[in-house]
Amino acid sequence: MKKIYGILGVFTVVFILTAIMSPSFLTPYNMERLILRTSLFGIISIGVAFVIITSGIDLSIGSIICLIGCGLPWLLVKMTVPLPLAILIVVTLSLLIGLVHGVLITKLKLQPFVVTLCGLLMYRGITRGFTGDQTQGFGKFFSELRWIGVGKVAVPGVPIDTFGIPVPFFLLLMVAILASIFLNRTIYGRYLLALGCNEQAARYSGINTDRMIILAYIICAAMAGLGGVLFILDGNSAQPVVLGNFYELYAIAAAVLGGCSLRGGQGTIIGVVIGTALMQVLRNMITLVDWIPTHIEYAVIGAVILAGVVADEVVKRISASRRAAASRL
Amino acid sequence: MRKLIILSAALAVVLGGITACGPREQGKSGKPRFAFVTNMPASFWVIAKKGVEKAGNDFGVETSYHMPTGNAAGQKSVLENLLARGVDGIAVSVSDPANQTDILDKIAKKTILVTVDADAPDSERLVYIGVDNYTAGRQCGKLVREALPGGGKVMIFVGSVDQDNGRRRRQGVIDELVGRDSDPSRFDPIDKGVTGNGYEILGTLTDQGDPARAKANAEDTLSRHPDIGCMVGLFAYNPPAIMEALSQANKLNKVKIVAFDEDNDTLQGIIDGTVSGTIVQNPYEYGYKSIEVLVALNKEDTSLIPENKFIDIPARTIVKENVVAFWDDLKIKTGETEAGE
Repeated sequence: MKKIYGILGVFTVVFILTAIMSPSFLTPYNMERLILRTSLFGIISIGVAFVIITSGIDLSIGSIICLIGCGLPWLLVKMTVPLPLAILIVVTLSLLIGLVHGVLITKLKLQPFVVTLCGLLMYRGITRGFTGDQTQGFGKFFSELRWIGVGKVAVPGVPIDTFGIPVPFFLLLMVAILASIFLNRTIYGRYLLALGCNEQAARYSGINTDRMIILAYIICAAMAGLGGVLFILDGNSAQPVVLGNFYELYAIAAAVLGGCSLRGGQGTIIGVVIGTALMQVLRNMITLVDWIPTHIEYAVIGAVILAGVVADEVVKRISASRRAAASRL
Repeated sequence: MRKLIILSAALAVVLGGITACGPREQGKSGKPRFAFVTNMPASFWVIAKKGVEKAGNDFGVETSYHMPTGNAAGQKSVLENLLARGVDGIAVSVSDPANQTDILDKIAKKTILVTVDADAPDSERLVYIGVDNYTAGRQCGKLVREALPGGGKVMIFVGSVDQDNGRRRRQGVIDELVGRDSDPSRFDPIDKGVTGNGYEILGTLTDQGDPARAKANAEDTLSRHPDIGCMVGLFAYNPPAIMEALSQANKLNKVKIVAFDEDNDTLQGIIDGTVSGTIVQNPYEYGYKSIEVLVALNKEDTSLIPENKFIDIPARTIVKENVVAFWDDLKIKTGETEAGE
C-alpha cells in the first residue's frame, strides 16, 4: 500500500481543489464521464504497465488502437464480415502483434524502443492504407455491440439518466483485478517483477525470462486492442490519421505516475488506475475551471506528472530511510 | 580525409545527376504532369482526389496526388521531392502560410504554382482557388441564428485555431452572431466569452485533432453549462463527436448542433433532425478546378485567372431541405454509388 501513497495524495489534492474551483465538477454527469474516460485509458495503461515492469517500453499502443479501432467498423460495415468473425480477427491480430513484438525483442534481441517504434509507424500506415484514409464508424448500426462502449448500469435509487456506471468501468475493474492477482498472487507475476529488477539474475535462477517478456508484450497489445475497440464503440467515428495519436504517451505517463519505474521491476495496478484517473481529472479541470486558460493544458499536465513522480520518490525515500533506521536499532 | 573527398565527389555526382534531370520533366507518356498536394490526410481530401482524377482524364494530363503527414515539415519534403522529380505544375493547400513563403517562392520559380483551400497570399503563387473561410464562418453563424432564434449560450469546437481555416471560420461565426461588421483579421482570444445580440459565445474548445478529446470537450461543456443552447463544430469530426456526447447524455434535440463539412454522420444527423445544418466546401471542385487552371496556365492561357487572383468556390449551406440531393451527388462523386444508378 505504501507504494501508492504519493500518487493517492496528489490525486486527492487535485480532486478536492477541482471540486472547490468548479461547481460543475461533482455533478453526476461529470463524474460519470470521468469514470468512462478513466476506464478507457486505464485499460491501455495497465497493459503498458506490464511491459514497463519488465523494463521494456511499448510505443505502438496508439497505433494499435488506430488499427483495431478503425479495423473493427471497417470489417463490420465496409466488408460486412459477420460479428463473431470480426471479433475473432481483431483479437487474433492484437495477440499476434504482441507476440511478434515479444519474439523480436527476446529472440532477435532487438531493443523494445526500436521494435515498437516501427510498430507505431506501421500499424497506422497500414490502417490508413486499407481504409483509404476514410473516416470509419458504425453509423446507426450495431447498437447492441456499442452498448459495451456507451452502455450504463443503473445504481439502485438513482435514475439512469442522472447517473449510471459506464459499462467499460466493469471491464476496467475486471482487467485490474485479474492483473493484480496475476502480478501479486501468482508465481508468474513474481517472475515478471524479478526479471524487471535484474533479468540476468532472474534467468540464472531458472526463470524462462524470454517467455515472460513475450507474455508482457502480448498483454500490452491485447489491452491496446481492447482499448481500440472501446474507443471506437464509445466515439463511433474514427479518422485513421488521428485516432489514438500519442495515447501511448498518456498510457506510459499514467503507468509512471502510478509507481511503475521505467527501470523495471516496480509497479502496482491500483497505482496505474489512480494515475490514469489523475490525468483525466486534470484535463477535465482545465475545461471546467474558467480562469485556467485551456491552451496551457499540457503545461499543467506535465507539471502535475512531475510533481506526482517527485512526491512518489520522496515518500519512497522517507520510508526507506525509516526502515534503515529501524534495522540499525 | 581521402574517404571524405571520395564521398563528397560521389555526392556531387548524385546531386548533379538529379539536377540534370531537371524540372519540367515530362511524364512517361509525354503528357504534362501536375501534382496536387494537401495539407494533411483527411476524408475531405479523398473527395478532392476524385476531382483531380476526373480533371486528369478530361484534359488528358497525368496527375499525382499527395497527402503529407507532419504538417509544414512533411509538406515541405513532399514539395521538394516533386521539384526534384520535375512536374509541370503544383496545386497546394498550404499548411503554414506565414512560414512557408520561402519554399513556395522557390517552387514558383521552377514550375507553375497555385494554392488551393488554404492560401499563402504573400507568396508568388499565381492564383488561389478556394473558399473564403471567414465568409463561410459567417454563413455558419447564420445557421446558429436560425437554430437559436431567441439567442442563448453557444460553444465553439474546433481542432485548432492556429490553422488559418479554423481561425477564420471561428471568427466568422462569432462576428455574425454578435452582429459585427466583416473584418477577417479580427481575433477574439479563445478563452474569452463574447456577448451580443442575445447570444453568449462561451468560448472555443480545441482538441488538436483528437476526436476522443473533441467528445470529452463537448461532455465537459455539458457539465459546466447545462443550459447550453447550441454547439458549433467547425472541423469535420467535431459535429459527430458532439452528436455522440449529446446522445449519450440524452440531450439530442435539446441542444442544437450546427456543423461544418460533410461527414456522413453529420449528414445523417441533418436528415434525422438532430443537426440543424452544415456548411460544406466543395473539395471535389477544388481538385477539378486546380487541374483545369494548371492545364490552362501550362498552355500560357491566363484567361481563367481573375484580377484579384482568387477563384471563389463558394461554400454551401446544407439543411434538411437539400441534404438528400447533396448527399446523393456526393456519393456519385466519391464513387460510393455509380453514376446513373
